[in-house]
Amino acid sequence: MSLIERLARLQESEERGVLFTCVEGDGVGTNVLVLESGERVGDGLDEAVAQFDELIRDGRNRLLSLEDGTKVFAEWYGPPPRVFVYGAVDTAEALCRGVKLLGWTAIVADARAKFATRERIPSADELIVEWPQEALARVQPDHQTAIVVLTHDDKFDEPALIGALETEAFYIGALGSRRNQEGRRERLLEAGVDEEKLDRIMGPCGLDIGADTQEETALSILAEILAVRAHREGGFLKHAKQRIHAEVD
Amino acid sequence: MKEILPEVEQWRKDGEKVVVATVVATRRSAPRPIGASLAIAESGKMCGSVSGGCVESDVFENAQEVFETGAPKLLTYGIEDDLAWSVGLPCGGEIDVFVEALE
Repeated sequence: MSLIERLARLQESEERGVLFTCVEGDGVGTNVLVLESGERVGDGLDEAVAQFDELIRDGRNRLLSLEDGTKVFAEWYGPPPRVFVYGAVDTAEALCRGVKLLGWTAIVADARAKFATRERIPSADELIVEWPQEALARVQPDHQTAIVVLTHDDKFDEPALIGALETEAFYIGALGSRRNQEGRRERLLEAGVDEEKLDRIMGPCGLDIGADTQEETALSILAEILAVRAHREGGFLKHAKQRIHAEVD
Repeated sequence: MKEILPEVEQWRKDGEKVVVATVVATRRSAPRPIGASLAIAESGKMCGSVSGGCVESDVFENAQEVFETGAPKLLTYGIEDDLAWSVGLPCGGEIDVFVEALE
C-alpha cells in the first residue's frame, strides 16, 4: 500500500499518527509515517521519529530542527479532541454547543436518567446514563480528551474527579466556588489522592472573563481548555509577548 | 496535507501524477497555518491553498519543475524576498513551502 493510501485510510479511522517529512538537509524528501499502534510506513528520520510520543500528545503540526541542521516537518493526524462532561446540567448543553462549534466531539454522562436525556442535551454526540467510574471506563479518556465535572454534587463529582485523575486527559476541570474547591480538595486528599495529582484539577474551571450565564460559562471553560491544550495562560492578545497562533514556537 | 487527501487520493486513482506543496514554517503573521497545503495534478488541476492566493501561481510554476526533476524544493516567500513585488504576502509575514512529488 502506498503512503497516500495509508494516510487516506488513517484519516477515515479513529487512529492517530504523525507523518514525518524531511524538508531540508540530509534525506530531503524522505517520508515516514508512524501510527500510535506502532505501525510504521517508511524508514529513516530516526532522530525525529524518537520525538513521536511528545508530538502525538501535542496534537498539532510542528517543524523540528534537528541537531545536524536537518529540518523535519511533523504533520499530526487523528480525530478531533473529545470533551467528556460529567453532569447533564444546563451548562452541559451550552458546553456541547461550544464543543461542536470547535468541530470536536462532546460526550455527556450522568447517573440520573432524568437528567441525561436527548431533550435536555440535544447537542451531545453521545449521552451515557452511568455512574462516574462506569462512564469513564466506557469513554476511556486519553491524551486528546478534556474532562469537565459539572454536577455540583459531591457523590458524583468526587468519584468523577478521582477517576479522571487516573487518566491521561489533557484537561480536568470542575465547577464550584473556591470555597467548595477547598473542601473537595481536603476530601480527595483524605480519599488517598496524591497532592501532586490534585494540581491537575482546574477548579473553579474557566478563564476569568466575568461569565454569568450558562453560555458565558461554557465559553469561559472552553477557552481555558484551548489555553491549556496550547500551553498558554489566556489573557489579552494585546498584552501577549508570544506568537498569536499556537502552531509556531 | 490532511485537508486535501481525499481529492489527491481520487486523482491518483485516476492515474494522475501529483505534487503537493505544504506550509512548513511561518514567521510573523501568515495567512495560513503550518500544514496547509496545495495539491497540483500534472493535468493542471489544483486543490487547497498555502496562502489564500498570494503565492499559489509561483508555487504552481515550481511544481512544474518538481514534476520534471522529481526533486523536492523548499521555497520561501515574504517581504525580504525579491519576489515580494510580484508574489509577496500582503500581511508582511514569511512562509516556507515544501514542494514534493508524491510517490
